[in-house]
Amino acid sequence: MATRFKSDETFRDDYRYGNSDEGVLRFPFPFVEDSYMYSVNMEPHTRSATPGVFAAAFDVDEHYVTECAERARALALEPGRCMVLPHMRDAEWDTLELIMESLALDYPDQFTLERHGLDWTWTNRPLGIHQSFRFGDATTLPHPPFEYIVRQAQGDFTLQDQRDGTLYIDGGVATTPADWSLAFDVGMTFHEWHGPVPLAHQAGVFDRALQYLMRIRYGEPARRLNWTMTVHPRLDTSPENYPLWGPDRAGLTAENIGSQLFLRVELQSLFRLPRSNALLFGIRTYLASLDDLTRVPKWGRRLHRVMRDLHPDIAGYKGLTRYHDVLVAHLAQFDDGEPTTPGIAADIAVLPA
Amino acid sequence: MSTGTASNRPRYAPLAPDPRARAHLLVTDHQDIAEAAFAPGIGLADFPERWDVVAHALVLPEPFGGPGVQHFRSASHLLALLRHRLAAETMGLRLYVTGSEPFVWDAARVAIEAGMGREEMRLFATGKPVRRVSCVHCRTINPGVTTTLVTCAGCGVVLTVRDHFSRVHNAWMGVQCDAEVPGEVPAIEDLSA
Repeated sequence: MATRFKSDETFRDDYRYGNSDEGVLRFPFPFVEDSYMYSVNMEPHTRSATPGVFAAAFDVDEHYVTECAERARALALEPGRCMVLPHMRDAEWDTLELIMESLALDYPDQFTLERHGLDWTWTNRPLGIHQSFRFGDATTLPHPPFEYIVRQAQGDFTLQDQRDGTLYIDGGVATTPADWSLAFDVGMTFHEWHGPVPLAHQAGVFDRALQYLMRIRYGEPARRLNWTMTVHPRLDTSPENYPLWGPDRAGLTAENIGSQLFLRVELQSLFRLPRSNALLFGIRTYLASLDDLTRVPKWGRRLHRVMRDLHPDIAGYKGLTRYHDVLVAHLAQFDDGEPTTPGIAADIAVLPA
Repeated sequence: MSTGTASNRPRYAPLAPDPRARAHLLVTDHQDIAEAAFAPGIGLADFPERWDVVAHALVLPEPFGGPGVQHFRSASHLLALLRHRLAAETMGLRLYVTGSEPFVWDAARVAIEAGMGREEMRLFATGKPVRRVSCVHCRTINPGVTTTLVTCAGCGVVLTVRDHFSRVHNAWMGVQCDAEVPGEVPAIEDLSA
């Protein structure tokens, strides 16, 4: 089924955003059981046989056009949100190739890549782009190759260089960050940039995750889901702009929390890049309001149980502490005490009216 | 490698000469080096070439002077000549750095820019905790911070120092502490407490 792209959404200022019923049902609900704790929840990023967010290497959904517009707006205001260290040039071209090839393979009606040696022509129909360029020659593109292609993709990306037995975050684009700063973190090792995360270090999660990541091979990408919560459908929850979005947390009430609080899920994917041996880390953000999610009975029950029993340190790290009581009280009405099935599936094909 | 702590706060191993090295250079921004900076059984005498900081030193230090102690007028003076020295160095030198944390990572940056790898340098921060804090909102670097809160010299907001240190920027991340509710400022604490 062809995706109908929304054209009038905004992710800042007046916050015009919404999910269709199909958008809700395909939402990557992140809780596989009725409780949550950090784990190395990695799995192969293989294309699922059934439609949904796992059916493509880089999922393109109904928010594609408006999210690309939001990225352009964010980069116009703050160009430092995209930066790549000079030694990552090969990784930039690797990224461009991977995303172009994947989009053309997964969505042939929307994207086309024609190659004649190093002379390539890229067609992006949803954004109305038709670009001929020479692969490897940055002067033939309107932006540097990494920036050029991530402006046509949903979600943030970082580039990890692998050396000294660890991964260094040596480039990326972060216009949709969940409270982390690319400008501050650039050049850090894997353990350094995860420094502020509570509990997981003691559990050895990052030591094991790093070992897993450094062994990811070309053509065998991996993925995991991560989550937090955001007031309003705001993609730019950067620490830089915390004074702009922080006050919204204090404005939640029992009356507005259902429509104003969004579960923010990151589909994180990792790809080994062929020339640079770098890792491309995709951080694709999905937003759904509590009102959206609680239309699915299983998700409403489970969300209540997960939030009610959430470890206070995790709630604190994710910024939920201020409104946690209001959140749990709101969700209680959707929990009838019935058991839930394992896994993240919605278990319904059509949303109740 | 295990961090074992919910922090990327740098951790340091006490200094000892690397027996595989051809030459050793110990630099500090202090005049007196705390014994805690050295591994058991190791002392100043194990580092024949030492650079330190003595304000108003009246003898010019010799960056290629070899064994002996060279006095520099300030940490900045020392770092400038360290850059000069390392640019002319060859393989086999080990650099040992001790002193305040901002100095230690400044010296590490000089060494990295001169092409040294992490195996060629040893770092140990000593003394009262003092941090450079980078305001994530306005990018101003606030030096000499000894408490958990600091008023940003650039934009004037009260920053809480997040437990997040960048070795590249040699700075801790500072984030406005009362962005959610203006005036809701947590109690200030001394970093050495």
